Amino acid sequence: MNPAIRRVGVALIVLLLLLVGQLTYLQLVDANSLNHNPHNTRALLQNANRPRGDIVTADGVVVAHSVKVSDGTVFKYLRQYPTKELFSQVVGYQSFLFGSTGVERTYNRDLTGQSLQLQLNNVGGLLSGNQITGTAVLSMRADLQRAAQQALGFQRGSVVLLDVKSGQILAMYSTPSYDPNPLAVHSNTLAQAAFTALNQNPDRPSLPRAYRERYPPGSSFKTITASAALETGVATPQTNFPTLTQLTLPQTTSTLKNFGGESCGGSLVDSFTFSCNTTFGRLGLQLGDQFVPAMAKFGIGSAPPLDVSPGAVPSLGPPAGSFQQNQPLFALAGIGQGDDAVTPLQMALVADGIANGGVIMQPRVVQEIRDSNDKLVQRFSPTPWMTATTPQVAAAVTQMMVSVVQRGTGTGAQIPGVTVAGKTGTAQTVQGANPHAWFVAFAPAEAPRFAVAVLVEHGGNAGNDATGGRVAAPIAAQMLKLALGIR
Amino acid sequence: MSATLPRRRASELGLGILAVIVAAFGYLLVQLAQKPDVPPDLWVILASVLALFIGAHVAVRRLAPDSDPVLLPLAALLNGLGFVTVARIDPGLGRIQAVWTAVSVAAFVLTLLFVRRIRTLERYRYTFLFVGMVALLLPLAPGLGKTINGARLWVGIGPVNFQPGEAAKVMLVLFFAAYLVDKRELLARGTRRIGGLRIPELRHLGPLLLAWGISILVMVRETDLGQAMLLFALCGLMLYVATDRIAYVLAAVVLFVGASVVAYSAFGHVQTRVQTWIDPFRYANNKGYQLVQGLFGFAAGGFAGTGLGLGNPKQIPNAATDFVFAAIGEELGLLGAVAVLIALLLIVGAGLRIATRAERPFPKLFATGLTAIIALQSFVIIGGVTRTIPLTGVTLPFISYGGSSLVANWVILALLLRMSDDNARGAPNRRSTVAARAP
Repeated sequence: MNPAIRRVGVALIVLLLLLVGQLTYLQLVDANSLNHNPHNTRALLQNANRPRGDIVTADGVVVAHSVKVSDGTVFKYLRQYPTKELFSQVVGYQSFLFGSTGVERTYNRDLTGQSLQLQLNNVGGLLSGNQITGTAVLSMRADLQRAAQQALGFQRGSVVLLDVKSGQILAMYSTPSYDPNPLAVHSNTLAQAAFTALNQNPDRPSLPRAYRERYPPGSSFKTITASAALETGVATPQTNFPTLTQLTLPQTTSTLKNFGGESCGGSLVDSFTFSCNTTFGRLGLQLGDQFVPAMAKFGIGSAPPLDVSPGAVPSLGPPAGSFQQNQPLFALAGIGQGDDAVTPLQMALVADGIANGGVIMQPRVVQEIRDSNDKLVQRFSPTPWMTATTPQVAAAVTQMMVSVVQRGTGTGAQIPGVTVAGKTGTAQTVQGANPHAWFVAFAPAEAPRFAVAVLVEHGGNAGNDATGGRVAAPIAAQMLKLALGIR
Repeated sequence: MSATLPRRRASELGLGILAVIVAAFGYLLVQLAQKPDVPPDLWVILASVLALFIGAHVAVRRLAPDSDPVLLPLAALLNGLGFVTVARIDPGLGRIQAVWTAVSVAAFVLTLLFVRRIRTLERYRYTFLFVGMVALLLPLAPGLGKTINGARLWVGIGPVNFQPGEAAKVMLVLFFAAYLVDKRELLARGTRRIGGLRIPELRHLGPLLLAWGISILVMVRETDLGQAMLLFALCGLMLYVATDRIAYVLAAVVLFVGASVVAYSAFGHVQTRVQTWIDPFRYANNKGYQLVQGLFGFAAGGFAGTGLGLGNPKQIPNAATDFVFAAIGEELGLLGAVAVLIALLLIVGAGLRIATRAERPFPKLFATGLTAIIALQSFVIIGGVTRTIPLTGVTLPFISYGGSSLVANWVILALLLRMSDDNARGAPNRRSTVAARAP
């Protein structure tokens, strides 16, 4: 019987070795595709249960951190947002049910220690089984963010403040905002209820208006129109324009009126300083099909590569090459109406381009990644995004913007001892609604350091009397003062 | 005096203590993954596991001193690992499993104590056949039988549920071995001729055909595919070893294929198992959910595993019983899963070595059958959860949660050690050892 027993033995060993083969296939060869199978919630759960680093502001305030909990659920860490609504529209949230948004999503691999740099930095920790995490350090400052929040108060609107040379965002706040903590709770029922309530809120607090909502820019867009006119040679600062109360638009019987029915004109500088619509409507017509490419150089039509997820939406102008079919639209585009629709972030980037000698920097909210021992892992270096115009044109537009604040529509943005360059905007929306108040600015004008864009929806508290100069300019000045360290 | 005796038992003690340490450390790791303190009951667990092993070891020293030294430590290792995994998935089941482990070790000792000669068992073959058949059919009895997870395999007496099928397997293997030893000459020769094939008298084949019929009955009434497959394979395999005629293997395969085709067309649950085997992801959210979750577990484990207590094996339904191997694959990785397979291979090797060294045909056949139970059952369930073969629910020997299975496996272990001890004593060069030990 022994030979038969041995043959049985060989057969049984072959069967068990077959299992070793199948296991190797499952756990080594096919593992990656199984881990990414859409039915696999385990990978999601594993991701949710990775220790996760903090998100802190440039001035050291913790915006997001994880606490270890054993609450009877499958989750090991609870993500908390101590600053609640102050940073939620940038930092986002991490939720098992709804996924993550904002910085939480973009920098997920850094926060969970999976990025290559962190892994290389911690080879020793990898072997010892210590799970590494990364800290995302924002370029944003909590004091500036809070100032923006207080300046807006109960008015709906957005404030975007950025560092001119680096493109780093120092403050980006819009009202209304929301508290992300209820979305990150472990109870699916509670998280779902919070999510539903948030999305059914008619005020849409979960919408980051600063970079995902488009508004008509009004006269603040004249910065782009003026740059385009100077660069293409359609006008010089001294070009004289007729003094008019209204501009008759081609291809139609309607007219374009000045603000408040006033008459204005004169040099380009004066027209800019007093925000003369008839002059800029005419420039829009004169630029014609050159206008849209000039806008594109300022980033209109492109999504700014902001490091949050979902990212910034592109701002819009009239369709390229459509001048012959629709000339009045280009007159309106010259004064920031009609097809023009921009995000507050985009207008801050326009100010950045003028302030930075024509080069718009790539906007970022995270400046560096540190490991759990506070050692620097990666610093994100400033990167140009767009070349908007030439240094000469930028300098000329700067002079016009300085004039706006010194003697024009933007005197409300003056800061004693600092030359501020700015442009107001009072954008008509729909019939019967109050206009949006805009202000874009940078300072100091001689050696620009900070650029800002302020939008107050439908005039805010000032209502029908609102203008960019009256409502938005003081907020911009306040932000610049604080950033420059002037009390 | 020969040094063989102390050396064998010393190896067993050393290896067994290693197995106990592995189990205790595993338990510690699982607890530490939950909270960073050394669990207060660690010492209780360590002491209990050690006491159980030492108890079994002392019994072997007294009752089967010349037996194989690796079987007991291997069983302790697998049982310990199984306890750690079951307790990690469900601490409540872990406590019950701990009690069953103690009961199993007691059954192990009692088997060694009462079965002093394996020959005695041979004599009661028909008693065992009868008891085995009754045990197999007991769950079908109204009032006694219980259906758990869609299979009517349980018998409930008071609060205790058990699967008599586990004990029936051992008794049926015993009967097969004893019967085949009697009839193997007749079965090997064959007297009738049908075409070119020589077929033995029907009355000699009768009991085997009866066993085959019963396995089909079990399959039908208890919806237990795994058990039926196992019994069938055991029957064919032992017939082959007894007669050395490959024709029996071929006949068994033909019968098996025939039965499978009938079963596939007749029963929905058989079709389900085959469909989910062929394309589990198509049924990922319904009938293939368990299999798919198990596969995700293996994938999550990868090469080195997530670490004990750090994976998510609770995502798999029945992770403590049928899918315990997926939980091991997830938390201990390919390394841990293959280690379990190697331990099983070593048990199979040791079991078959006992069979080849036996002098008489009955222990040869009996040891082969018992070893094949462990090997085939491991293959059926591990093959099922790894999608090597269609999934059928049987327990993984020594590891899965389940008292009946654990007791049966420890009894198998005791019987193998008994035969191993007999082999050593039967050998002429060892006889002096036995004599020298006598006062």
